[in-house]
Amino acid sequence: MKILNYVRTTLTAIAIGIASLAATAEASATTLNDIVSRGSVRIGVLTGAPPMGMVDEKGNPTGYDVDVANLIGGYLSLPVELVPLTPPARIPALQTGKVDFLVATLAPTGERAKTVMFTQPYSAFNMDIISGPDQKFASLADLKGKRVAVNRGSSQETALRKAAVPGMQIVVFEDDSTSAQALIAGQADAVALPSTVGEAIIKQRPDAGLQVGFTFFQQGNSMATKMQDFELRQWLNTAIYLMKISGDLDKVATKWTGRPMPTLPSF
Amino acid sequence: MSYTFQFGVLAQYQDEILNGIWLTIKLSVLSILLGSAAGVVLASIRSVKGGAARFLVDAYVEIIRNTPFLVQLFIVYFGLPGVGLRVGADTAALIGMTINLAAYSTEIIRAGIEAVHKSQIEAGEALGFTRFQIYRHVIIVPAIAKVYPALCSQFVLMMLASSICSAISTHELAASAAFVESQTYRSFEVYIVVTLIYLALALALRACLALVGMWLFGRRVARRTMTSLPEVQA
Repeated sequence: MKILNYVRTTLTAIAIGIASLAATAEASATTLNDIVSRGSVRIGVLTGAPPMGMVDEKGNPTGYDVDVANLIGGYLSLPVELVPLTPPARIPALQTGKVDFLVATLAPTGERAKTVMFTQPYSAFNMDIISGPDQKFASLADLKGKRVAVNRGSSQETALRKAAVPGMQIVVFEDDSTSAQALIAGQADAVALPSTVGEAIIKQRPDAGLQVGFTFFQQGNSMATKMQDFELRQWLNTAIYLMKISGDLDKVATKWTGRPMPTLPSF
Repeated sequence: MSYTFQFGVLAQYQDEILNGIWLTIKLSVLSILLGSAAGVVLASIRSVKGGAARFLVDAYVEIIRNTPFLVQLFIVYFGLPGVGLRVGADTAALIGMTINLAAYSTEIIRAGIEAVHKSQIEAGEALGFTRFQIYRHVIIVPAIAKVYPALCSQFVLMMLASSICSAISTHELAASAAFVESQTYRSFEVYIVVTLIYLALALALRACLALVGMWLFGRRVARRTMTSLPEVQA
């Protein structure tokens, strides 16, 4: 019996080895035909970043990314297998073939473009400067001599420090809501917030008279495929184009962010 | 795990850290002076039996000692502007620290006052001391001498708790550390350095307080302050 057990274990190990080899081989390229013949499409979506990607009360993935992923499934006429991914897991999951492509609020950067291939942007958020009722800012130059609250270590802090408006004082808090609180309490002249967060706060505190001044930068997010999947990327770009002209993408954007998708330069 | 320590990148942030240290020292020294002065006054009020003033002091001490310091800071910084009192982050930190420390020192000094035996006050009366002389020579000075080491521990705790003020954007040492960390992503190195700085500050503060204790109350109190050992009754 012992020998039988040993043989069984060895065979299982070999089987797993072959299966993982096959998985690696599959990771080398994914064509549209592969996906159609498999009968379902595996899409990586972001989790833990509302409203772009989160889980609902039943534990199912939901959010902007999930709606877009389901639209894509509709265009492919295939059932969608959603794979929720945390930010650092997104690109590795794509590279190891765990997902066919990503719809995971991934911003194109030069560094990332060396490892994955990006489509046209399918979502975007604005980084807004929001002020109180008694003053409104229209440009970075207006922030001269003002106190601007930001979330420590955020992309808006980096962008504002880079902008280096003379006389502007950057006041740092631990999160977005405390930064907004500083503005409401009059301890800061403005706060820099992602538009999604900013609009939620404006809605919740109508009495504070907060107003959006201007957008000082815009982050576009793209779907991503593996480096060699040109065919898949071209198909996704076409699908994004179709979602844009049919108004489907605007509907998703309005549902989750409260406004249609902003116009972004394409590449 | 192999981690390569890179302390070199911190050198360019020397001014940032020094500014943080300086603000931490300023806030600590000022709040210790104001807080302990308020503590002496409030403890004297508290040791008087009955009266509305005593009730108010009791309420103040209990509220402050039973709520978190962070919440107290938020109320000073975010709450007071709601009633038209707007103070900057540094002032808010000083106010918060003073309010907090005053409550704790009130309680500590009160314990010292209660430890003064009734017979000593009677002895003062028998010697023809005025009420103020009794209060000064028989009650308050011996009371503070008794609790001075405990008071000093509270001062050091307050200095360390000043790091919490970074949450209301006061740019003291902990905020400097967080800034350098967010710029360099060298959190391990930054916090090792900052831990050593806080340790040095705490030991230096304790040494200064021991010197003050020696000058005010003599060598025995000073020695207890430095070592935090309980007093051995001879």
